[in-house]
Amino acid sequence: MARYVANRLIQAILLLVIVSALGFAILHLAPGGPLAQFAVSSQMSQEDLARVTRQLGLDRPLPIQYLDWFGRMLRGDWGRSYRDGEGVLTIIGSHLGATFELMATATVIAVLLGCWIGVLGAVRRYSLFDSLATIGAMIALSIPTFWFGLVTIYIFSVHLGWLPSGDRQTIGDGSVLDLLHHLIAPAMVLALVETAIWGRFMRSSMLEVVNQDYIRTARAKGLPEWRILTTHALRNALLPMITVAGLQFPTLLGGALVTETVFTWPGMGRLFLDSIGYRDYPVVMGILMFSATMVLIGSLLADILYAVVDPRIRVG
Amino acid sequence: MGAAALQSVQLAPGQAAWQRFRRHRLAVAGAAIIVILVLGSAFGPYLLPFDDTYIDIMRRFAPPLSGAHILGTDELGRDVLARLMMGGRVSIAIGIVAMIIAMAVGILVGAFAGFYGGVLGAVLMRLVDAVLCFPAIFLLLALAALTEPGLMTTTVLIAATAWMNVARVVEAQVRSLREREFAVAAVAFGSSDLRIMFRELVPNAMAPIVVSATLNVATAILLESYVSYLGYGIQPPAASWGNMLNNAQIYLTSAPWLALAPGIAITLAVTSFNFLGDGLRDALDPRMNIP
Amino acid sequence: MADETGRFGVGALGHLTPGNPNRRQFMLLGASAGAALTVPASAFAQSEGQANPPDKPRGQVIAALSQEPTVFHPLMPGIEVDQGVWWQIFSPLWFVDPAGHFVPDLAREIPTIDNGGISADGLTWKIKLRSDAKWHDGTAFTAEDVKFSLDLINNPDFRVLSRVGHRLVKDIKVVAPDEIHWRMESPYSPYMSILSLTCMVPKHILEKVSDPNNSPFHNAPVGTGPFRWGERVPGDHILLNAHTGYHGKGPYLERVVFKYIPDLTVLYTQFRTGQVDYTGIQGILPNFVQEAKTLRGHKIFVSSTASVEHIAPNLEFGPFVDRTVREALYHAINKKAIIDALNYGLPKQTESFVPQQAWSFQPDLPQHSYDPAKANALLDAAGWVRGASGIREKGGVKLEFTNSTTSGNAVREQTQQLLIQDWRAIGAAMRVNDMPAAVIWGDFWQQSKFNSVLVGVNFMLGSDPDVTPRFGSGATPAKGGRGYNTYQYQNPEADRLLAEGARQFDLAQRKVIYGDLQKLIRNDLAILPLFQSSITEGVKEGLQGFRPNINTSSNCWNMREWYWA
Repeated sequence: MARYVANRLIQAILLLVIVSALGFAILHLAPGGPLAQFAVSSQMSQEDLARVTRQLGLDRPLPIQYLDWFGRMLRGDWGRSYRDGEGVLTIIGSHLGATFELMATATVIAVLLGCWIGVLGAVRRYSLFDSLATIGAMIALSIPTFWFGLVTIYIFSVHLGWLPSGDRQTIGDGSVLDLLHHLIAPAMVLALVETAIWGRFMRSSMLEVVNQDYIRTARAKGLPEWRILTTHALRNALLPMITVAGLQFPTLLGGALVTETVFTWPGMGRLFLDSIGYRDYPVVMGILMFSATMVLIGSLLADILYAVVDPRIRVG
Repeated sequence: MGAAALQSVQLAPGQAAWQRFRRHRLAVAGAAIIVILVLGSAFGPYLLPFDDTYIDIMRRFAPPLSGAHILGTDELGRDVLARLMMGGRVSIAIGIVAMIIAMAVGILVGAFAGFYGGVLGAVLMRLVDAVLCFPAIFLLLALAALTEPGLMTTTVLIAATAWMNVARVVEAQVRSLREREFAVAAVAFGSSDLRIMFRELVPNAMAPIVVSATLNVATAILLESYVSYLGYGIQPPAASWGNMLNNAQIYLTSAPWLALAPGIAITLAVTSFNFLGDGLRDALDPRMNIP
Repeated sequence: MADETGRFGVGALGHLTPGNPNRRQFMLLGASAGAALTVPASAFAQSEGQANPPDKPRGQVIAALSQEPTVFHPLMPGIEVDQGVWWQIFSPLWFVDPAGHFVPDLAREIPTIDNGGISADGLTWKIKLRSDAKWHDGTAFTAEDVKFSLDLINNPDFRVLSRVGHRLVKDIKVVAPDEIHWRMESPYSPYMSILSLTCMVPKHILEKVSDPNNSPFHNAPVGTGPFRWGERVPGDHILLNAHTGYHGKGPYLERVVFKYIPDLTVLYTQFRTGQVDYTGIQGILPNFVQEAKTLRGHKIFVSSTASVEHIAPNLEFGPFVDRTVREALYHAINKKAIIDALNYGLPKQTESFVPQQAWSFQPDLPQHSYDPAKANALLDAAGWVRGASGIREKGGVKLEFTNSTTSGNAVREQTQQLLIQDWRAIGAAMRVNDMPAAVIWGDFWQQSKFNSVLVGVNFMLGSDPDVTPRFGSGATPAKGGRGYNTYQYQNPEADRLLAEGARQFDLAQRKVIYGDLQKLIRNDLAILPLFQSSITEGVKEGLQGFRPNINTSSNCWNMREWYWA
């Protein structure tokens, strides 16, 4: 096991280097640049733009720019944003709190609710509950988050006035109650889609398990149904969910772009979109490296966990 | 009894699958709806008097059933029903094709990685990880750097964001099933690798694969909306359910039918594909007990 | 996060200055450098509200913006929302009020040829400064700061916004703490306007900095403006507190918060629910304006901006070389539909690149008429023959082209659809090629790689109509030029008029010159003007003092005068 983990870590580092090079190339070769936003304003002339391009070092050959960036990265200098000059790590750090708060809440709700619905649906297959849950999941999956968000705001904020129409907190009031009040709507909207996904996978996984021979054996042995479900079925049904969880892990800190936009949530998703929109290269690369690291960690953790939990798997 | 019973037992596997499918009423309903949607999108535009791109600026925002336009008109006075049908061609096509590409690539990569393990498996799964490292917007950027937006590029982009999850799930399943009795038996029996992979292991991993496939169709249709939101996607004046939904955002309160029409269409399509998938899984999986 | 409202002593605003003592003085002047004198003094009202401003700063205003301000050093490249924040933290030597008059800010009086501030040949400038202005950290503002700011702008290592005009400044001499002289290399009248947009930065803080492009100042700026830096949550908001030692009128608000809300629908919703007090750039979407006007507890202001929405042709591209084509295309544009239907009647039709409120606006330009028959006749007569597909052709060149605009802008995309249909009727085939802002304004725009673009441009330099960088022959980047004449317009007569206008200080004469220039551009149809843009802003009931100013890039210019009734 230890050798497996060591191997994977080495592979991960290699991968990060490849991803960084590829990402850097894509980003810089994509059309447009960080100075485009000034080109239509009447104050910066072509000369000014060319000068600033030079001053930012963007006229150097791409490999040189990459090596410069990579070298600094190794020394811990992730660069500075072209927009506000803040350090990239500082910017990412300032958005992480908000992101984690939203994503973790939504994921916890989604996992608990989704698994419960999935299990019940599998056990009472084709019952009214199952049919309703399935249709509900389908609706949740076919409506874009933006819609849920806007409709939620219109109902609960504009018309009923129960919830705020966005933001993470009221400016000047950072109390826990205020934060929670603002968290409700976006977390629920985000959890809706996640619940549907978890629910579908859980139901299918549970159905798989419930029809296995060993379950029938357990029933024949006279074990109580609830015991069968929890001790035998559920534990086995949860196995494939580990893979699903591993895939969800990076989103915990990657944020959900659309939800963050609708609810004006200052999270990583929106930061990434804005940075790409303004071609703020250092920040984009920083977030890319950050998210790549999360993906690789999540993948590794999922594989390890799976191997630990399922004795039939050989790792490596 | 007797001979008739024997006959019913000896159905060919295909016929047995069909029988199992037919019993799944929701799946049949789903299939029917999909057929209706496809036919409607394919032939409907020929039956309507309105063109999907004709702008009638004076008759914009006509509500449904208020005049000659059954589903009303949009922000430029174009007929919503005509656009819905033309959009259906695009969205259903994208949904299915993207799903097929994603499934094919994902299953191939996952099966090979899970079956062979070792170096090949590691390399393949690391490839999956590498692509997963790039968020969807980034892949969009890459594609934007190389091509102009359009139907094919949007489909490829959507497939490119979906195949990794399929590969991961398939790999895990195949890896776990590899050690099971029937697989070991097949090896002992002398079956070739490919045969084992695609006759024994993958079919037994059908359940999560089918769930994945149906979720992918839903995601694909919606991702198209997300992609147009980011400025790429199907370019105007061509309609797609995704860009219709997108354009309807700012008119949510003033002209809700502009969002409801594509929204309901997408829900119908997604739901139908889901039930169809359920039925397929039941039909194809030999181990499933149909009550 | 706790906010830090400044602790105010009682009577902190003892010396509110009641307007500008020099207003009357420069009103009497005939021709002076760049001042517009057509509006009487009474129009320059001090406060329109019924109640009077409070004695102490009170309350807060949450201003919503759909783009995030990220640049807080006022000399570095920034966009309109950044400038909106600079107006609160910093001060220029003078600014331009809504009526077009120069109003002194850090300067004691506006330098003119008549009062000796500017020499008759326009080369020697002598500026008298206020002696009571203070930086937020208490240090006194002096002429040294002005010299430092101008030197910094011309520092080759500094990533400055623009050196246009500034590079002509030589031999800066600090004659006294409240007086500064310098010499211009050549007379350049638009420099008055440029200085109205140039904020002064503190020498005592920035001279100690090792890298002028990056220092703690960039995220904790210190200025002489009405509000001091409070805090910033990146991606969320910026909070500013009142500066009690402000040398001008106001501020009457304790706190100003600039909130970033990226989506315009959400911005409007937050305004509706009262979560924000003022909707700034980019304002309320046109399709919400009707409803917004009926909202109780809110006041809506529709004001013109200096931006002119037009179709920018690449004058060296195939069919656009022929003036007849441009004219025919112009006649086939249904401007009424675009303005009344797509834009809900908010913007105003225009034929000129100069805003209608400017002193240099030329009202006598040929008026547009939507006449597809005439367009067809023009093209037929010029030899553009319809081919088999209905698209016209002449000499092997087809009348087909792409049109680009920023993707995601609903109204512009709709405008493009309408243009496609209307132009197809006269045999012109247009195809849409939209792209995100970061792409379209890159090389695509700058190096004239487009066929045509649907764009809104503010042609003015502050309030000055010097458009040499836009229409001068030497200003095309694709040909190695220095400006942004991306249209690739070349006309020696235009060059002559532009050169004369920039040299001339006499207002009446400049008016004639630029009037002729507008006639020329309109006749040549170098651009196809659609309308002068407008912005719809909303203010919560009770918030007084809001006044749009077309001569500044942001209507937040006078937040120091806002107060809660």
